[in-house]
Amino acid sequence: MGEKILEMQDICMRFPGVIALDHARLNLEKGEVLGLIGENGAGKSTMMNILLGSLKPTSGKMFFKEKEYMPKSPSDALAAGISMIHQEVSLVPGMTVAENIWIGREKLFSSGGILNVRKRLEETKKIMDDLDVHIDPDALVGYQSIATMQLVEVLRAVSYHSDVIIMDEPTSALADVEIHKLYNIIRKLSARGTAVIYISHKLEELFEVCSRVTVFRDGKYIDTKRTEELDQKQLINLIVGRELKDMYPKEDVVLGDEIFSCKNLRREGSFSDISFTLRRGEILGFCGLMGAQRSEIMQSIFGLDPLDGGEIYINKKRVHNTSPQKAIQNHLALVTEDRLRRGGIHMLSVRINLSLSFLKRICRRGFVNTKAEADACNSMVEKMRIKLASLSDTFGSLSGGNQQKVIIGRWMLTKPDVLILDEPTRGVDVGAKAEIYRLIGELAKDGKGILMVSSELPELMGICDRILVVREGRLAGELERRDFDQDLLMSYAFGVNE
Amino acid sequence: MEKDKKGGIQEKLAVFALNNKALLILIVLMVIANVITSGLFFSYANLSSVSRQVAVSMLLGFGFTVVLVSGGLDLSVGNMLSCVGVLYALYSLEVPIALAVILAMASGCALGLVNGVISIKLKLAPFIVTLATAQIFKSIAYLLTNGKAVTGMSNAVKYIGQGLVAGTVPLSIVIAVVMCIILAVIMYRTAYGRHVIATGGNQEAARVSGINTQWIQISAYVVMGFFVAMASVVLTGRVAMAAPGAGEGMEMDAIAAVVIGGTPLSGGKAKVGGTIFGCLVMGVMNNLLNLAGVSSFWQWFAKGCIIIIAIILDAQTENFLKKRRA
Repeated sequence: MGEKILEMQDICMRFPGVIALDHARLNLEKGEVLGLIGENGAGKSTMMNILLGSLKPTSGKMFFKEKEYMPKSPSDALAAGISMIHQEVSLVPGMTVAENIWIGREKLFSSGGILNVRKRLEETKKIMDDLDVHIDPDALVGYQSIATMQLVEVLRAVSYHSDVIIMDEPTSALADVEIHKLYNIIRKLSARGTAVIYISHKLEELFEVCSRVTVFRDGKYIDTKRTEELDQKQLINLIVGRELKDMYPKEDVVLGDEIFSCKNLRREGSFSDISFTLRRGEILGFCGLMGAQRSEIMQSIFGLDPLDGGEIYINKKRVHNTSPQKAIQNHLALVTEDRLRRGGIHMLSVRINLSLSFLKRICRRGFVNTKAEADACNSMVEKMRIKLASLSDTFGSLSGGNQQKVIIGRWMLTKPDVLILDEPTRGVDVGAKAEIYRLIGELAKDGKGILMVSSELPELMGICDRILVVREGRLAGELERRDFDQDLLMSYAFGVNE
Repeated sequence: MEKDKKGGIQEKLAVFALNNKALLILIVLMVIANVITSGLFFSYANLSSVSRQVAVSMLLGFGFTVVLVSGGLDLSVGNMLSCVGVLYALYSLEVPIALAVILAMASGCALGLVNGVISIKLKLAPFIVTLATAQIFKSIAYLLTNGKAVTGMSNAVKYIGQGLVAGTVPLSIVIAVVMCIILAVIMYRTAYGRHVIATGGNQEAARVSGINTQWIQISAYVVMGFFVAMASVVLTGRVAMAAPGAGEGMEMDAIAAVVIGGTPLSGGKAKVGGTIFGCLVMGVMNNLLNLAGVSSFWQWFAKGCIIIIAIILDAQTENFLKKRRA
């Protein structure tokens, strides 16, 4: 329909020993929103890095606005009209919103080396009005929520008058309301003729905002389809190249005795009145909006943050988890939400990462029994189907899904009774997600109790026996599996009931 | 993504070179030394004098390795060495040698504990905390001695620094090698060592995994103090006195040696054996400059350059290994 604005042809990218892109292509029409999807390692980021000039392709051609285009650096790309909003926020926290938007281009508003602050403010407001975004331009970025920071990034990209904006997982840190705000902005951009390349692991999002999706697999271009000609299942098939029959394998598990309960947990300024019980074999989900304090509740249960009140019982015995060490002794385990910062140790080997929490149990007088360690690690790698060459591979060299499996494996080795999973599938590709669901199911079958926090409702509804809704630090609703209903859960989360 | 195995050899060599740069630099230095001193370098007299000097910096380097691995930094070790050395010399004048050594070790651990508790419990930057405590240690050393060296060391004290094992090998280097083996076993084979490495690699992840990271970090400073005390016992024996300025500037040698040895400044990775080679590089370099008759004014200049090169190499190694992983 529209005119082509960007075309990438026959792009090959070889690194020493690795073929990252194999004759990949991509084309983009003026003003369209194109979804780009593929498993981790499919070559999406490499393709975008080439488009941005961070990498030089081994071979291939690009045409941008009908001219041949080969940027040497991201600033070349920016000048030509292509900008990117990265997954991690890259703003200066100590500067104001307006300063961040125009950072590096102060000359635009300067004469004789003196900055005209008012002119910059006017220009900032103009961009904001255009997109119907309202943030105080003089507010310090460091005090803003992640959602607002992300908006500032969008504003900065727009201020370059880019014709193409690449968004890499822009919603990974946003709650539903904010996601819808972002969608509106994307639609406005698109109406103005700005094309958007939208990279995301969340299929629902692609169907919501994109007109077409391009699928990559193993460094190769697979297909491009209009979203209305496609359903989620077909898209998954394109991504993984195999039929994913049971994305959410829910095993029939007979629930056992109560294994965990808590009464009136409270932490000042965070949550209060949190009471629930968990039975053996049960998977209990926690849903809620961003900032509902779900993770904070879990961290306090695990002793990472202090509690100001309340009681915790494990196997009907009162416990006091004043530190993670205590919690582990009480047979609790926590897979944290932030895999990068609080999960793996990237430059150390898989072996050290796996054995970290149960190391003391295989020590004699402080010395590690390395054979017992290697055996335990190997059997865990096998059980979890972690893909690696050897146990001495560094954690950082694994894909996101395998990293997550290593962390879950670390906790499995401690033989916990209750496993807390906080966003266990965030940033993990579709294939690995299904594997993680399978694992969770097996754990439940083994008689463990599972508390799972997730922002993806379909996955909670897929594998949980019961879901609790958290809203502003309190329990706002509870649904049994037979009553699961997306609309109902969301209305509890937003507090629009009654 | 598949890695094809043919292109691997060059890459493996590069990785080996970067992981063992101290060893390679050492070999090059020794060859140069041999050539320009026309064999004098490899004479027994010269080698045993180099190894005596190097033994002290190795002991310091081992302690420094532990602190760096845990994610900490200790710039007070030079002055701590002077301070503990003075204390040890004073003890040795009053009590039997064995007791004096034990007291010196205890003093070293106590000073390390001070560094650790202030930096970790109060969550202050160890860089600035240890610069400040360095002033205090220096002050104690000068106050105790009134600025004059403590002399009149007994033969037992001198033997630790000057004695020979089996008539040929300096006792001090034997002590250093034994300590190296003990430390390597602790770092690689015990839960404690693993916990230190994990804490330096990612403190938050270690904490979530049930490691008492505060205790681990503080203990690293105590281990540092212990090694400083050992170094001061050896040094006091070697020079047969304890001067209040004896350790001045040694922290820079220690940093350079450890980093050349392959333990990154950012922590999380231990290269205990590398520290030995790093210390040898520094020692051989000093010796070489001495033999070549270069004035000590220029030697400081050279040392500064070496440290900068070491840090550049450290950063480059990390970048290279990171790229390889990606």
